[in-house]
Amino acid sequence: MTAIPAIREMPARGRNTYDPAVVRADFPILSRTVYNKPLRFLDNGASAQKPQSVLDALQNSYAREYANVHRGAHFLSGAATEAYEGVREKAAGLLNAPGPDTIVFTKNVTESINLVACSWAEAHLSAGDEIVITEMEHHANIVPWQLLRDRKGVVLRVAPVEDDGSFDLDRFAALLTERTKLVSVTHVSNVLGTVVPVAEVTRLAKTVGACVLIDGAQGIVHQPVDVQAIGCDFYAFTGHKLYGPTGVGILYGRSDRLEAMPPWQGGGDMIDSVSFEQTVYAEPPMRFEAGTPPFVQAIGLGAAIDYVQALGMEAIGAHEHALRAHAFDVLRDVPGVRLIGEAPDKAAIMSFVVDGLHSLDVGAILDRQGIAVRVGHHCAQPLMARMGIESTVRASMALYNTAEEIDALAAGIRHAQKLLG
Amino acid sequence: MDLSVYEDYAETLEALDDEMRFEYLLDIAKKKRGEPFPEEAMGDAHLMHGCMSRVWIIHDIADDRHYFRGHSDAAIVKGLVAMMTDSFSGLTTAELAQITLDHVRRLNLGALTTQRQVGMMAMLKHIQKLAGARPGIQAA
Repeated sequence: MTAIPAIREMPARGRNTYDPAVVRADFPILSRTVYNKPLRFLDNGASAQKPQSVLDALQNSYAREYANVHRGAHFLSGAATEAYEGVREKAAGLLNAPGPDTIVFTKNVTESINLVACSWAEAHLSAGDEIVITEMEHHANIVPWQLLRDRKGVVLRVAPVEDDGSFDLDRFAALLTERTKLVSVTHVSNVLGTVVPVAEVTRLAKTVGACVLIDGAQGIVHQPVDVQAIGCDFYAFTGHKLYGPTGVGILYGRSDRLEAMPPWQGGGDMIDSVSFEQTVYAEPPMRFEAGTPPFVQAIGLGAAIDYVQALGMEAIGAHEHALRAHAFDVLRDVPGVRLIGEAPDKAAIMSFVVDGLHSLDVGAILDRQGIAVRVGHHCAQPLMARMGIESTVRASMALYNTAEEIDALAAGIRHAQKLLG
Repeated sequence: MDLSVYEDYAETLEALDDEMRFEYLLDIAKKKRGEPFPEEAMGDAHLMHGCMSRVWIIHDIADDRHYFRGHSDAAIVKGLVAMMTDSFSGLTTAELAQITLDHVRRLNLGALTTQRQVGMMAMLKHIQKLAGARPGIQAA
């Protein structure tokens, strides 16, 4: 029998200095090579790597505590249920949400937004009502509202972004009217890195009585988030970008909102009682979780939340802030590199184009040097059109990246220019 | 069937290690970058969908043989397109139908990046479709 790996000790909370070398040792994949070169992983905006503690939690769940959750009349089901439900509390803690009942497990942010669109918005919006989004939204925060528009006749309004990628609060405010029923904005742009002032956006939205949904896919990973301080109605994030497994996401919903929402998918687990005449739905959050949930993945997410909280979101944010500043310095130094998104308040997500070179060529040459970046439109085609480009190279940093990796990126771009120039 | 151009590419690539194969691909890319492609062909009608860069392929028939020319806004992709269109131009419909993914695999570009290999396979299907050559079905 294979020995079950012990759950590794968490990094000490409140460690005095943030040492990326120590942090990197927690991530097994970071020690591998690609094409005989050290892996320099700068594609974290798409998905982040996993620390050993997350891998151990998944292994432990399958190897020692596996049985379907809820209502199992046996030990293992009880253990799995306790571990799974415990993650609601961890997620609530991460978001400073009032309690675990405000935490709905979903598949990812896309599913969270579709849930709000198909349940809350479907029930509460009617023809002529307005939804405000921004030019920098990911397709996941555009297309669900277009589908709703086609079903209900609601109106989609788009707040513009400035040339440097900044969010324009005044022009956003000018779009708000008594018809505005929902404001759905990203917390951090996945292309520009722009941090949207979500507390101020929420305060303005509330002056017209609008509901506020925040796409926190990129927001949750770079800074502390407090949904009560923001005052939003919904906040969505995904596990795999927060060093957790794929297949599990979180939707925070204010209790009164969740209680006033009908189910959007039917099945097991989301009911109190079923007869052919009448079905009584479960209370939130179970009302929105039909069928067997991804409980192993959720348990892995719990380990990921423990991991980032042990390091401290402030410490992670400070480390990434320093990386971003360094990236600005070295990338601006490379002739022909044009940064896309230079807002003063910006997370460590660097998009750029290189004069005379296609993003795909730059990405392919970086790849051969072991540097993993993403190229393309990043599921934000309207933003690309707004910025007058078709694609960018995107280097998105995580808690384990180093200044040396940014230097390697700059050297890699120069190499690409030499090879294809 | 005359696959001499394809054989030249395949044999050259086989003789190289991964690093040199990538340099060879870059050389082709650079060489092909300057080659003209008719401006009017760079429209939606000739666009190959599903690529990360834009790829246009035009198709002509002369003496019952198919001829292809291609272009991309990305240099490396332009090199890959050229390898495909050079390799498989001049074939009849029946011959083209006999070209399989194994021909693409033999070029071993998957060792460079799997995305390139997937792109090449899509390109093969695309030119077969343009020529009306259905793999596994021998045209009369």
